[in-house]
Amino acid sequence: MRLHRRSFMGLMLAMSTTPRAFAQSDDSLAYFRRAKINWRQAEGQPLALGMNKHPFTESLLPLIPEFKELTGINLDYLILPENEYFTRLAADLSQKQGEFSVIMTGPMRNWQYVTPGWIDELDPFLKDPKLTDPAWYKLDDFIPGLLSANRWSGKIGAGVGEGPLYSIPVMAEGYILHYRKDIFDQYNIKVPTTIDEMAEAARLVKKHAGIAGIVARGTPNVAALATGYISGLKSYTGGEWSEIDSNMRANLHDPQAVKYTETYIDMIRESGPPNWANLQWYDAMESFAAGQAGMLGDADIFAATFEDPKRSKVAGKVGYALIPGGSGGKTIAGLWTWALGINKAAKNKTAAWLFIQWATSQRTLLRATLNYRNLNPTRTSVTTDPRVKEMIGSWGGGSYVETTKKNFETARIAWVPQPERTRLRDIRARAHHAIYFKRMSAADALKKASADLDRVLKDAGIRP
Amino acid sequence: MGNNIQRRRAQRRRSRVVLPYVLMAPAIVLLVGMVYPFAVGAYYSLTSYWLQYPQRFRFVWFDNYIELLEEPLFSQALKFTLGFTLVAVVVQVGLGIAAALFLHGRVPGRSTLRAMMLMPLMIPPVITALMWKIMMASTNAGILNHLLSYIGLGPINWFGATEAAMVSILIIDTWGNLPFVALILLGGLQALPTEPYEAARVDGAGAWDIFRFITLPLLAPFIVLVATFRTMDSLRIFDVIYATTVGGPNDATTNLHIMAYQYSFQWYQLGRGMAQGMVLLLLVVVISYLLMRMWDRAAERTPK
Repeated sequence: MRLHRRSFMGLMLAMSTTPRAFAQSDDSLAYFRRAKINWRQAEGQPLALGMNKHPFTESLLPLIPEFKELTGINLDYLILPENEYFTRLAADLSQKQGEFSVIMTGPMRNWQYVTPGWIDELDPFLKDPKLTDPAWYKLDDFIPGLLSANRWSGKIGAGVGEGPLYSIPVMAEGYILHYRKDIFDQYNIKVPTTIDEMAEAARLVKKHAGIAGIVARGTPNVAALATGYISGLKSYTGGEWSEIDSNMRANLHDPQAVKYTETYIDMIRESGPPNWANLQWYDAMESFAAGQAGMLGDADIFAATFEDPKRSKVAGKVGYALIPGGSGGKTIAGLWTWALGINKAAKNKTAAWLFIQWATSQRTLLRATLNYRNLNPTRTSVTTDPRVKEMIGSWGGGSYVETTKKNFETARIAWVPQPERTRLRDIRARAHHAIYFKRMSAADALKKASADLDRVLKDAGIRP
Repeated sequence: MGNNIQRRRAQRRRSRVVLPYVLMAPAIVLLVGMVYPFAVGAYYSLTSYWLQYPQRFRFVWFDNYIELLEEPLFSQALKFTLGFTLVAVVVQVGLGIAAALFLHGRVPGRSTLRAMMLMPLMIPPVITALMWKIMMASTNAGILNHLLSYIGLGPINWFGATEAAMVSILIIDTWGNLPFVALILLGGLQALPTEPYEAARVDGAGAWDIFRFITLPLLAPFIVLVATFRTMDSLRIFDVIYATTVGGPNDATTNLHIMAYQYSFQWYQLGRGMAQGMVLLLLVVVISYLLMRMWDRAAERTPK
C-alpha cells in the first residue's frame, strides 16, 4: 500500500515537473524578462561552457534552448568526466586561451585558480546595474554559508569567507552518516556518536548481519578521504586541529590525528569490505545501495540514490545521522559546493555572466532540483519549496531533512586554503594505504606524510 | 634555339634541386611533428615548470632528475615497470608460442578459432580494462568470483590487495595482447621451410626434438621481434592500470608512466613529470635497441 502511494506520488511529481506541465516556454521567458536588465545585450556572441559530468549538468542541458531564446547567445559546451575535466580545465586556464568562458569549480578548486590569477572576481558583475538586477536575482536568497564558502581573501592559510566572490554555488553536499536502520534496529545496535562507538557498531553489523560493517572510499585519488574521514577527524578534535598549522607547517602527524586515524583505519580493515583500497566514491555508494554495508560516512546527497527504489535495494531502510563527534559531542562536518565561475581569459564576459545569472536564478535552480534531484539546493527558496520538501521529506523517516539541516549549521570547509589541496589529499591517501596494509604504523606513516607535504609547500613557495 | 636549350637545362637543374625536397616533405613534416613535442618535453624536464606557479618558472638543469633519485616512489615505480615488463613478456610470448602451435596444427574449426582470436585486438585497452574490472568485482556480484565459488575457490580480492592487483593487471594485459603475439608467431610458423621437418621425420625425431631443435631456432627471429614489440608496450603500459587501480593499492601498481601522469596532470608539476617521462623514454629506447640487435643476430643465424 505504501509502495503504491509513493509511486503514485512519484508519478504526480513527474507530471508536475515535466517542462511542458511546469511552464510553457513563454511563461519561463516572462519570468526572466521581469529582471530589469537587457538579456539580449550579448546577442549573437559565442559562449563556451566547460562542464563536469554531474546531475546538475544534466539538469541544465534540456533548458539551454530557453537560454538561447532569451539571450540570443550562441552557446556551446563540452562535458567531461571529473578527472579529465579538471585536467583540461587547468590546461585551458594556464594557457590563458579562454576556451571555456564559464567553468564549473568550487571552493577548494578556487584556491588553486586564484593564486595564479586564472579566474575572475564576480562582485563587479553583481554590482553593475546593466548586468544584474539585484532585486530580481536575490543574492541573499543563497544560503549564507554556502555562498561565503566561495569567497576567499587570497591570503594563503586563512580568509575563507572573506574577500571577493569567485563562484556561485549550484549544489552543496555535507557529510553525514548513512546507516541501515533496519539492521541497527533488529540487532539493537546504537547509532554511534563517537569514533569508538562507530568501530563497535561496524563490528556488530558484520558479526550479526554478515555484511561489511562500514564502507568508504579508498582509492588513492578522487577525493578519497576528503569527505567522511576528514569530517570525523575535525569533529573528533572539536575543530581545533587542522592539517596545516598557522605557520604553514604540515600537521598531519598531530597525536590526536594519529589516534583517530588509527581507529578509523583499523575499523575499515576489520569490518570494511576487503577491496576498500580500490573503491571510488561511486563504488562505495553503489555497494551501500546494494545492501552490502551497514554504514557509510559520506555525502548526504547519496540519499537521492539510496531512496530511489529503481537504483537501490535499501530504499526506506536507511537512517541518517550526524558524523560521530568528539568528546565534546559536537560534529563539525566538511562541505563542498559545485559552483559556476568565469575564466579570466574569457572573451565574452558579459555573455558569461548572463549565463551564470540565468543558471543560478531561482527558477532554474528550482527546476534542476525538481526535475533532476539536484541536491542539496543552495537557495533558501528552493529548500523551502513545498514540492522539494515533499520530495525529500520522507527520506529516512524524516531524518534526512533533519540531519542535513542540523549538519549545515556547523559544517564548514574542512581545509586550510592553499593551492596544494589536491596534492595534500593524495599524500594523505598514500599514508592511509600504508597503515591499512600494515607497512607502517599510523604515527610513522603520518609523520612521513607531513614531511612530504612540507617539502611540496616549500617547493611551491607557499612557505619560505 | 640555343637560348631555348639553356632555359630547359636551367629548368631541369632547378627541378633537380627542388624535387627531392618536395618528395621529402611528408617525411620532414612527420619528423618535425615527432621531434617538436619531444624537444618541448625535454626542455621542460630541465625547468621548474609548475602550472599554477608561472612566476616561479626557472631553468634548473638536472634538478628534476636528481630529485628523482631521492624520491622513494620513483625506485618503486622503476622496479614495477621493469618487473612487470619482464613477467608480461615471458608469459605472453610463452603462451603465444603455445597458441600459435595449436592454431598451426590440424584442429577442427581452426579458421573460426583464428577469427575469434582477433576479437580482443579490436577492443580498445580502456574498454578491455573496464570490462575486466566489472568481471573482477570482489564480491559474488563479480562473475569471476562467482564462477570460482563453484569450484570452491575464492573470493579473490582482485584489486584490493597489493599482490593480487599486480597479477590482475597482468591477466588483463595478457588477454588483450596474446592474440597479437600468437598471430605474428602463427605467421612465422606458416612461413617456415618444410624440408627440415621432412628430414627430421625421416631421421625419426620426436615431436619435442622437432620443436626444440627445428621450430624454435627457425622461429627465433619472430619471437625476438614480437618480444620487442611487447617489451616496448609493457614498459609504458598506462590505460589498463589507470582504468582499474590508478596505481594503487599502496602504489603497488604505479609504474613510471602512471607516476609521470600524476605529477604532470594531477599535480601539474610538469617539469618533474617530463623528467620522469624522459627516463621512461630512455628505458624504452635502450631496451628496444638491445632487443633489435638480438633480432639482427637471430635473423642472420637462420638459414634463408
